[in-house]
Amino acid sequence: MAGKVSYLSSEWRDEVERRLREELSPEKMKHITTSVTFNYTGCPDGTDKYLHFTCVDGVITDVKVDTGDPPQAEFSITGSYDLFARVTQGIVTSQRALMSGKLRLKGNMVKALKLASLSDRINKIMSRIPTIY
Amino acid sequence: MKKTTLNDPYFIDFPHRLSQIQEKMAAEDIDVYLGSRLRTLSWITDAFCPWRSYIVIPAHGLPTVFTFVIDAARVADDSWLDEDHVLGYAPLGGMDQITQISDFIRDTLGLHKGHIGVENGMSNYLPEGNLTHYEHECFKESLSGFSLVNAHHIIDSLSIIKDQGTINRFREASRIVDKGHRAVKGAISHGGWKGMTETEIAGIAALAMRRAGSVWEWSFTGGNEIASGYRTGLAGGACTPATTRKLKAGDGLMVDIHAMFKLALGDHSHNYLIGRATKRQLWHARNFLDIVSGTLKAYKAGASPVSIAEEMMDFAETRGFSEFMVPGFEHGIGMMGDEWRIGMNDGPMPYWTNPDHTYRENEIVICAMQYACPQEDTGFRYENPILIGKDGCEPLSRFGLKVEVIE
Repeated sequence: MAGKVSYLSSEWRDEVERRLREELSPEKMKHITTSVTFNYTGCPDGTDKYLHFTCVDGVITDVKVDTGDPPQAEFSITGSYDLFARVTQGIVTSQRALMSGKLRLKGNMVKALKLASLSDRINKIMSRIPTIY
Repeated sequence: MKKTTLNDPYFIDFPHRLSQIQEKMAAEDIDVYLGSRLRTLSWITDAFCPWRSYIVIPAHGLPTVFTFVIDAARVADDSWLDEDHVLGYAPLGGMDQITQISDFIRDTLGLHKGHIGVENGMSNYLPEGNLTHYEHECFKESLSGFSLVNAHHIIDSLSIIKDQGTINRFREASRIVDKGHRAVKGAISHGGWKGMTETEIAGIAALAMRRAGSVWEWSFTGGNEIASGYRTGLAGGACTPATTRKLKAGDGLMVDIHAMFKLALGDHSHNYLIGRATKRQLWHARNFLDIVSGTLKAYKAGASPVSIAEEMMDFAETRGFSEFMVPGFEHGIGMMGDEWRIGMNDGPMPYWTNPDHTYRENEIVICAMQYACPQEDTGFRYENPILIGKDGCEPLSRFGLKVEVIE
């Protein structure tokens, strides 16, 4: 990857998918099957966007960034673009953002607890992508 | 998720309970029931929910429990409901109990207006679990478009009469309690009581009952309640969490122990006189035993709390010991969380036992009596779950009714 990519751009999405597939083996992902949508409100271009992941048997099969109605997912997390950007950069932990109520999670909390460490791994990988926020 | 089979003596048909609730909801135009009382959660889920929990019952289909996330997987494991119907709440955005339940009603159940049955009221029993004022206001705000109506009578009316599985569970809980009593009697006999504390006695009973299958000395009044000496005679002393008081010769000893088996509750109190007994103590003991025997004979379908109390207080008056009797002879009991009040909330004192409640076959109550003589530091307590029958009652604990002098 030559330079920086814009956050939530198609280039950024491609890089996320490439790195996740490269760095997260099905074993590291505990062979989970799940899906999660991050709903971004108030993006710089004035839209609301979503970032959607699908994971089947520990393999990331789909990474999607788009506007409009997000696909059905087992979990959805909603928050402002600014906050998600700070979470992705590692400035704010997702845990703190959730505990302060600034991020809003929907889904089975018990299952979410099991996936918390995997979510952190994904976030760490995303944070290493040179990105313009 | 727990599975039981029809040939299990402790089988309870929970889906049938659910359909009974849903029929009553339909009849009362209730679109969704939001239960919060411990008794409701136990009766429907078959799991002990020690943290603040809620159960959302739709008009059709399975209910969903919301409990504190740290305990949700265990509740799902204990319940007949699967993990998709036992959800955890947590202090996280979107995951708090109010948001999650409101979202569930709107998004998952697809309801946007209607009547939500809730459980309001008051109780002398701390873990009752009525919806708090704060919760009520929060749900009212987050579920605008719905009206919240008090509907606990639905569960109360359905849970009064015990089914066979519940009765068998209560019998087993009492059998376990009897094992605890045998262990205590063995430990205090032949001078074993010397130097023994109330807390040790509570522990001896607990170990024996745990070995026999009890999962908890469930009582919120302090687990196994042991009282000795002057503590047996406290007039307002019907709850006696064990202390480190050491037994002394001449003491009375109350051993009131509790077991829990599959959410059914054992609760039996047995009394001793330690080391020696005065004639006066034996007179009190005879009074106590006679009134317990008389009371047990009085319970049958058709009797009421007040009819029994009047009959027994007349007897006590005739024999000259009415001043020592607390004029109440029972308290309610059901699956964990269902304690104290008997029957419905349809008496003159809201949320207390209706004195004119008419007992029916297959109700279970705790026959309970407190005989207290504070001036003489003497007293006795009787508690025993009894199954009301057509012509009498079945005391579930079978440890013999005596006041024994332990030499």
